[in-house]
Amino acid sequence: MKNPAKSAPDGAPEDVNRRKLLSWLSGFGLFGSAVIAALANLIFIKPRVTYGAPNRFSIGKPEDFPPGARIALDTRRVCIVRDGDSLAAISTTCTHLGCIVAVSETGFACPCHGSHYDQDGNVTGGPAPRALSWYQLTLAPNGELVVDKDNEIEAGKYLKV
Amino acid sequence: MSTQTVTRSRDGWLALPGNIWRSVFRNPLPDSDLGRASTSFTNFFLHIHPVKVSRHSLKATYTFGLGLMSAFLFLILTVTGVLLMFYYVPSTTQAYDRMLDLRGTVAFGIFLRNMHRWSAHAMVAVVFLHMCRVFLTGAYKPPREFNWVLGVLLLLVTFFMSFTGYLLPWDQLAFWAITVGTSIAGYAPFVGKDVRFLLLGDSTVGQEALLRFYVLHVAVLPIVLTMLATIHFWRIRKDGGLARPPEEDALPGESSTPGPMEVVSAAPVVMATSAGAAAAAKPLLERKQYGIQGLVRGPITKVGNISDRSKFSWPSLFQAELLVFVITVAAILVVSLFFNAPLEEPVNAMHPPNPAKAPWYFLGLQEMVSYSAFWGGVGIPTIEVLILLLVPYLDRKQVGVGRWFAKERLLPNTLFITFAVLNVVLMVIGTFFRGANWEFVSPW
Repeated sequence: MKNPAKSAPDGAPEDVNRRKLLSWLSGFGLFGSAVIAALANLIFIKPRVTYGAPNRFSIGKPEDFPPGARIALDTRRVCIVRDGDSLAAISTTCTHLGCIVAVSETGFACPCHGSHYDQDGNVTGGPAPRALSWYQLTLAPNGELVVDKDNEIEAGKYLKV
Repeated sequence: MSTQTVTRSRDGWLALPGNIWRSVFRNPLPDSDLGRASTSFTNFFLHIHPVKVSRHSLKATYTFGLGLMSAFLFLILTVTGVLLMFYYVPSTTQAYDRMLDLRGTVAFGIFLRNMHRWSAHAMVAVVFLHMCRVFLTGAYKPPREFNWVLGVLLLLVTFFMSFTGYLLPWDQLAFWAITVGTSIAGYAPFVGKDVRFLLLGDSTVGQEALLRFYVLHVAVLPIVLTMLATIHFWRIRKDGGLARPPEEDALPGESSTPGPMEVVSAAPVVMATSAGAAAAAKPLLERKQYGIQGLVRGPITKVGNISDRSKFSWPSLFQAELLVFVITVAAILVVSLFFNAPLEEPVNAMHPPNPAKAPWYFLGLQEMVSYSAFWGGVGIPTIEVLILLLVPYLDRKQVGVGRWFAKERLLPNTLFITFAVLNVVLMVIGTFFRGANWEFVSPW
């Protein structure tokens, strides 16, 4: 090993370069490890299963919801709307600050900050920034309706039964 | 010296208990300047202080003790918080019952909870006032820019500490305040929903959120806050003590240039505190011994017994600190004796109170959110924090340092007072003037 301090002037740049390269590589390795560790922590902290109320659940047979019904399932935070043979599941979580909206004459009304929505969940007044979400509603093989709150669909898309 | 010789010559039991006492405390109560200096220098708890401190920094009307008060409130919060942990369970089925137990069965339970609650509110307020003090006295000017940045981070951690603690009683107030508060976080573009999910550990506030907030509140955030505060304190020393006008460091009969005995010139890496100081600093005296503890930044470090405008920390500074401590503890004790921390009905996720309000220090945000969700909840607060962080790098003129409402700082002070008053007014509106459906109501 050549002592860099004593090396000849023409040999010096090579030494410095090797040194620099090794420093860069170690620096990159250490920094990279730190980034990977940070990412691992982020992945760790994001739950893969949640222990609260499931986001995908069965709500009963279509016959339980007569035509014209607008039945709010408060514990599930969803309202089942039936119009003829068209069914839909509309969120009852206010898009403003997360309160539960109540079914009203004209659609939905939030008790917290006075947001109003029409029958389809579009904002008609108050501070709510967005329309209420529509969730995917499917008919399971056993004839029961299944709401999937992880799957938001576009408003106005009904399930025909 | 002579006492030690006498002690050694005493044999057996006669040396007790004096020899034990002297092994713990290296100095007898000081009666000389040397003694005063070594008392603060050799004691673990006192040695974070300088041996001498500027008279200007000791003026009650300069600092109002606000920074120290924040630290003492954090101390009260740590002590009462650890005690409360012995009886608390972060479970949705047990947390509320444990709150009732604090009221009913735990000795001093309600009193400890009151102290913890009121200290938390007080800390948010006092940290904010401390920031106002530092701004309005121009104390963030070089070399103290980064300590201001640390201070802004400490303010944010204080908010977050208080916010995470808000959920733990698991009553209606807690549940809906956190539901509203985390919904505001959800308005951030791109990352908002993910941040909310990471924070709550679920899509709604529930058991996972309670556990996460508990861990953040009792472990993660206190460690972060302690580390930041430690660096904050350390930098006060390394930046030359509290900010003060340059004329405070002048020798009697000298004009406003800093004292000639500064060690500033000994260490070329550290720059003088004020623009003209580097040029004014004279070379160090030859044939004089300089201790390594002298090699810190700023004009406070004096070598030799120079008559200047500073006082020994023992007793002046320690008396002042003790006074702030006693006032802080007394105030919290009195308030906790007469006012109980609120505890509402247990959580009912089906029945939001009307109106549902975030904690008071976020009600300014909630008020803005009622006009525009994104700008009120995320846009404006982010811009405000960024501007606060950048303040010392934008406003660089070395004028009016260490004086309240300096005339030379009319513009920055006016801007800051506008900023502070605006935020407080929004908070007051959100707290007192908003009723059901967030409609305007009169509080009287």
